[in-house]
Amino acid sequence: MNIITQPQLVSWLDSIAKERPLIAPRNVAGVLLYRPVENSSEIAWGPTRPLMSVKDVLFPPTERLLTIEKVGLEVKLTDTFPEGNVVVFGVRPCDARGMQVLDALFIDTEPVDPYYARRRGNTTLIGMACREMGPSCFCTSMGGAPDDTSGADIFLTELPGGFVLQVLTEKGEALLSELSLAGFYGELPKPSYNRPLNLVERDAWPTHFNDEYWESMAERCLSCRICAYVCPTCRCFAVRDEALLAPGQFERIRCWDSCAGENYRRIAGGHKPRAEKGERLRNRFMCKFYYYSEQYGLDKTVACTGCGRCVDACPVSVDITEVLAEFGR
Amino acid sequence: MNDTTYQNPMMPYLGKITEVRDLASEIKLFRVKMLNGGSQAFADYKPGQFAFVSAFGYGEAPFGIANVPQRGPYLDFAVNRLGNVTTALHELGDGDLIGVRGPMGNWFPMEEFRDKNLIVIGGGIGGAPLRPVIQHVLDHRAEYGHLTILWAARHPSLLVFTDEYDEWSAAPDIELHLTVDNPDQQWDRNVGLITQLLEKVAPSPLNAVTITCGPPVMIHFVGKLLEKMSFDPAQNYVTLEARMHCGLGKCGRCNLGEKLVCVDGPVFTMKEAGELLESFL
Repeated sequence: MNIITQPQLVSWLDSIAKERPLIAPRNVAGVLLYRPVENSSEIAWGPTRPLMSVKDVLFPPTERLLTIEKVGLEVKLTDTFPEGNVVVFGVRPCDARGMQVLDALFIDTEPVDPYYARRRGNTTLIGMACREMGPSCFCTSMGGAPDDTSGADIFLTELPGGFVLQVLTEKGEALLSELSLAGFYGELPKPSYNRPLNLVERDAWPTHFNDEYWESMAERCLSCRICAYVCPTCRCFAVRDEALLAPGQFERIRCWDSCAGENYRRIAGGHKPRAEKGERLRNRFMCKFYYYSEQYGLDKTVACTGCGRCVDACPVSVDITEVLAEFGR
Repeated sequence: MNDTTYQNPMMPYLGKITEVRDLASEIKLFRVKMLNGGSQAFADYKPGQFAFVSAFGYGEAPFGIANVPQRGPYLDFAVNRLGNVTTALHELGDGDLIGVRGPMGNWFPMEEFRDKNLIVIGGGIGGAPLRPVIQHVLDHRAEYGHLTILWAARHPSLLVFTDEYDEWSAAPDIELHLTVDNPDQQWDRNVGLITQLLEKVAPSPLNAVTITCGPPVMIHFVGKLLEKMSFDPAQNYVTLEARMHCGLGKCGRCNLGEKLVCVDGPVFTMKEAGELLESFL
């Protein structure tokens, strides 16, 4: 472990930003988001986690998969793979763990998704410990912690006047290469933890499938899907073609989608499974705590990192910790 | 650009439409010859597997492959004009290019069905993924027992593969029963639901398997009736339909509980389908 002073960190980030895109928490019209910054002066250094997760760096809300050119009877298809290295600074532990959850689906389960895998390979994550857990945070109940280094390439822990810097991967090593830093031999400061939630055993979730709770809880749900969009692990997507300006030219895109949407499973011809909001919300929570880890071999890891964003974002106070409490009593 | 590290599973192969014929009202059969890499990818596929078909500029959707590869170097897809993609496909004709990704999903275990009596139960366009089963049995007639085909549609104009009934019926040890819910004036076969026909034909469960495809409600009631007729749910096979956007187990859309229809299916036994946490209905 090493010490990096605030001035050292700033000049290092500035030198990174000169070479390649640097993404960091930035204040965008009053909203904290992970966004590209020109230099370190644009970085928001506060303790709050950004409103959206870091998911969109690897898995953009809308992404072009192919271009399609029709000329006469001929068709030309071209892959549009992402290029270029990116560094993300200030990634919260809940977000870095979210990437690991997405890795299980997009990389570790065949076939590899080349779009995600390329971005993942080209992205270096500089993680940052949280000083404390926010009011809606429950990462410690989901296997994480405000000082969990999982998923980061380099991890920073704040001290007065600087940070403790841990290099965790070869990618992190490469990014740090020319920086010479003093060693750190003390104890890392311990963040304070929120009270952990009582949890139901993972394998008990299916026994709650037919509970009436889902329907009653869903009464206030608007099916607005914001919970999926702010989530670091929700990954459902839709694929469709869009016309480009030039005649005969199209793009095939994929966009974020959510199982909360009413037409999510509608089949041409009218059959509409999961027509009830309760069924759809049940699917969301069952996916988080049971289906996803079953489907992608995650064992005890669930598809929720306890970031609490969905709790904050829901306009009608559907609260995932309430759902956990209901079954964890 | 090309990536040497990863194949791109979202990149369709190009296929050329070589024949389009009307199969039933609003249902066309497209015969597709795969070009370049696609002919390799589709060199072999099994009864029950499916593929994603692109109408370029409109999108792609999953369709059961309606033939066996042994019949020739082509793919048959039955397309019911219902949504954007299927409407765009219906506009296409001979020589037009489409995209195809696959083959995808599991299949009917035809090896396990050897020497058994087969009862094939198809409703409407649900007959399409069953056609390769029928073709396979016809082409390996000595390897299978008696073949009973129960074929249904809402109306005579919606029956699929009518021009192949003679071929099917001409093979030894095959019986074909047709029924429609709403007959027209010329109709001289059975009238009523496929469950009524199944009760009337009353096949024996001994040394038999059933293979059903149709609307979810039909599958549900056929399953119930078969159980009443002493068929074990493990000897009843179904192929399930679900909305999908990738076919690769990624997009999340086709889950029934923790199972994904695209990679864990689309073929299930009724025992497996009945044990799914989430109903396919």
